[in-house]
Amino acid sequence: MGDTDSFLHLARPLGPAAVGSQPSTQPLNVIIQPQAVFSILDHSLHRNTDQERVIGTLLGTRSEDGTEVEIRNCYAVPHTETAEQVEVDMDYQKQMLALHLRANPKEVLVGWYATSAELNTFSALIQNFYGQQGDGTWPHPAVHLTVSTVPGKDIEARTYISAPIGVTAERAADSCLFIPVTYEIKYGESEKSGLELVSGAKEREDRTTGVFTDIESLERAIEQVLEMLDRVSNYVNNVLDEDATPSSALGQFLMNALSLAPKVDPADIERDFNNHLQDILLVSYLSNTIRTQIDLSNRLATAALTLGSGDPLAEGGSGSGGGQKGGQQDQRRGKPRNQNRGD
Amino acid sequence: MADSLRDASLREVQIEALVVMKIIKHASQAFPTTITGSIVGMDNGDKLEITNSFPFPSIELPADSHQDSSSLSAAAPRAKANTSYQTEMIKFLREVNVDANNVGWYTSTNMGNFVNANTIENQFFYQKEMNERTVALVHDVSRSSQGSLSIRAYRLSPMFMSAYREGKFTTDSLQKSGLRYQDILVELPTTIHNSHLLTSLLHQIPSNPPNEPLDFPPNLAALSHDPQVSSNPMCPNFDSLDLSIDPYLEKTCDLLLDSIENHHTELNNHQYYQRSLGREQAKITAWQQKRKAENAARAAAKQPLLPEDEWQRLFKLPQEPSRLEILLNSRQVEQYARQVDGFTAGVNSKMFAVKNSLLPGEGV
Repeated sequence: MGDTDSFLHLARPLGPAAVGSQPSTQPLNVIIQPQAVFSILDHSLHRNTDQERVIGTLLGTRSEDGTEVEIRNCYAVPHTETAEQVEVDMDYQKQMLALHLRANPKEVLVGWYATSAELNTFSALIQNFYGQQGDGTWPHPAVHLTVSTVPGKDIEARTYISAPIGVTAERAADSCLFIPVTYEIKYGESEKSGLELVSGAKEREDRTTGVFTDIESLERAIEQVLEMLDRVSNYVNNVLDEDATPSSALGQFLMNALSLAPKVDPADIERDFNNHLQDILLVSYLSNTIRTQIDLSNRLATAALTLGSGDPLAEGGSGSGGGQKGGQQDQRRGKPRNQNRGD
Repeated sequence: MADSLRDASLREVQIEALVVMKIIKHASQAFPTTITGSIVGMDNGDKLEITNSFPFPSIELPADSHQDSSSLSAAAPRAKANTSYQTEMIKFLREVNVDANNVGWYTSTNMGNFVNANTIENQFFYQKEMNERTVALVHDVSRSSQGSLSIRAYRLSPMFMSAYREGKFTTDSLQKSGLRYQDILVELPTTIHNSHLLTSLLHQIPSNPPNEPLDFPPNLAALSHDPQVSSNPMCPNFDSLDLSIDPYLEKTCDLLLDSIENHHTELNNHQYYQRSLGREQAKITAWQQKRKAENAARAAAKQPLLPEDEWQRLFKLPQEPSRLEILLNSRQVEQYARQVDGFTAGVNSKMFAVKNSLLPGEGV
């Protein structure tokens, strides 16, 4: 996304560095986690009507040598911008940073974002503020992420770092050289299910979706696999009929995939299958028996007519014993039923 | 009654995609520690819209501490320090136009073992102190790793609220109120909502396999490096086709056994109570009979009678232990049993599929 733009390629950019100290190596790869993007988009929606763009602080982690920055979190910072001047609520930024660091002590300040692709003199000013010594990201350069949210156009994200530019001392604060750097949006294993659900709502008019149960998502996955298998077998048939162009690489790939099927004796499969099925049904049966017994125990305990007769508890006690007995019965009863199903 | 009327109007929970992602991130980072956080949003008629969330500060324990950090952070939502943290955070969020109403809290869980005193106390605290219309979002990390996201919204039922407020969970009070363990938590249907901008972003990201024919790869190695093929699209997610369900089943069984053990301990407590109650009552009857006989003797001797209700001062009946623990435990067992049902339903169909693909032409 967004990498199609051509830009001027410059030699290794230099981060802001104090005279005499070693210039730090730069973050040349930025990884963005989806919740940061979601958060930025949400902020953009909540902006005041008279605001062109809104800004916020990016939090994340930095690899030890500083060449890789992972943006994990972000928060909005109020600011006002007019033609002449820009005002960022520094106090807010500081206090919010402190609050966030209490919840996520591992994350550090890595930069800032704006919800417009434009870079102007105020951008440079804010960039220098975030990259400054003390509260800023110094000695590492601050990362600037722009996410354009113009209605009707594609959402486009860009990441920059900055380098100082040689101008007179009084103009140094509001000028810097923005250097584009590459970025990737990465999501973790645990976020996959969440993203799947979120993207399930994108085709819908009301932009909402329910939470799927396990069996529903299984159904969806199977349907998708079947569809893909159809496509592949269609292609293979077409190749056999000499309608489609054959590809030896694809053929080889399919052969490899097919050879993954284990060679097992049908009797073994039958046996393992029945054993496993039996185990699972047994567990299911037992857990339901336990549930019933607990329910029974509760009912007996509260339905007792007289208090202190000792009856409700004696009944309750034998209830849990009954659970184990029920289990043994099931083992005997479970077998014939499973075999029926196996056939 | 007014309470139950207002409750009836809260029927649905709508979670913004941002909140889902934030909770997942927070929960998976700290896994297997239980995490908690606060959610903010808007109360819109019978629908509760959750639009943002933030985590509670993590608690760093000294290495030699014996306390479990999980239990500490599970109790975080009602800790004093966190209440002020929450107020402060909401104050700041208001400045950037985020809906600044606290509508509840979220927690993470592992295999559905969230029905415990901590959850109940937290939610009670929220429904009592903060705002009646609050929910608890429960995100199950382990179940979500199986492919389908598990996030649920719960509230305490009005019946349980009033019982908990009085703190009375004796056999008597339960008989009177008819409170059953099934009535403790009320689950609200949840939907996930995307903003317009997010929908637009999702449409830009390729998710399904491309529809138009691709160029043929020159060789096998190229196939595995082709970005069109190897890029991991968001959807479909094939994690739910995973066959190895046994670890999950095993873990649930372990938890189920723990619950039974707890149940047994509680039953023993009650039995002990019953026995000591019986003993005390036997003593009282003995004393009453003795006093009666004495009085009969005194009446015969024309002496003034001794009072017969002195036993109330002399003997003390033991306190009945609270049945709350049993109730919660039962609810937890129900949760596990349903979970097992869900697992077996899925795995059985997978098993049949595997069998039929390995033994084509046989079976159904």
